[in-house]
Amino acid sequence: MTWEYVIPNVETGAPSRASELPMDNDAFAAFYKRSARSLWAYLARVSGDPALADDFMQESYVRFLCALRPDEGEVASRRYLFGIATNLLRDHWRKPASTSIEELPEELFAEKDRAMQLDSHASLGRAMARMRPRDRQLLWLAHAEDYSHREIAEITGLGEASIRLLLFRARRKMAKLLRERPAEKARRA
Amino acid sequence: MIFKACLREAEVTELLHSGRWPAAGTPELVSHVHSCRRCNDLVLVKQAIYSLRVETISAARLDSPGLLLWRAQLRRRNAAFASVGRPLAGAQIFAMITFILVAVGLVASQAKHGIQWLQWFEEAPQLRAFHLETLWSFSFMRADWNLTFLIPTLGALAILSGVVLYLASEKQ
Repeated sequence: MTWEYVIPNVETGAPSRASELPMDNDAFAAFYKRSARSLWAYLARVSGDPALADDFMQESYVRFLCALRPDEGEVASRRYLFGIATNLLRDHWRKPASTSIEELPEELFAEKDRAMQLDSHASLGRAMARMRPRDRQLLWLAHAEDYSHREIAEITGLGEASIRLLLFRARRKMAKLLRERPAEKARRA
Repeated sequence: MIFKACLREAEVTELLHSGRWPAAGTPELVSHVHSCRRCNDLVLVKQAIYSLRVETISAARLDSPGLLLWRAQLRRRNAAFASVGRPLAGAQIFAMITFILVAVGLVASQAKHGIQWLQWFEEAPQLRAFHLETLWSFSFMRADWNLTFLIPTLGALAILSGVVLYLASEKQ
């Protein structure tokens, strides 16, 4: 009887087997190529912070790869990925913002320029930014990613019936903000 | 705000999703969208968000997928090591507690006989039993000496219980 038999998991091969991922390199690279830009856009527009979107995108993929779940195809994997990203955003908003300005890295200020670059449709972006985070989330998932109410419910963890109503309200508010835009322009002119 | 459903919303949504609005819309549907607030909001918001999406996607900076795979592998490996370490630490703590209890019990039982021990040390040189050849048989003659067997037995029990606890938690 060897000590590996008495203590089964302390064999040298166990951790290396544990680090084997459910997706191989090529499959993951292809999936990443198809989904990463959409995920980043979702994170960047909902959070309003491109640097945060970079971090959360990385974290979402790492969690996605670490999750032990059956392969249910590209659509389900993508939905699962958006679900992870949504949870990360929710946790971020729940966390109290206690960082002082001295603790912030210098790169963060450089990132603001990138955020500005995003908005060549500046007023459109501003209208989006004036929405509540949850409304931004719902609008983006419904109208940028074309998810159904059932899929949005799965991603956000909200009830399907609530999604219908919340989305209706969010859309009405956004439309109002968008209609104000030409009126503002006309006033300025 | 009143939530009023529109029967033509699904039709408009489908055309918007497929990117065929307004080209594929009938003149009647187009005029409906102009008059229906709900469908009008839908078209306005959908087109605005879609144009934001196109713009935002082009600004995305992507990392190498290899880097993400490596990070995920590292995280899973660390998690595997942590899961191995957890029951081991539990077994060590259990064995330690058992050992301490045994030690405390031993000290307490010996404290009762402390004076007798001192007496025994004084008499030891005169005792025949102090000689090595009689020491073994002597240990069976006095009740206190049974501890010589009790301590290793309890020690072995503590170690074994640690191993059993480890195996039990490992199965879970």
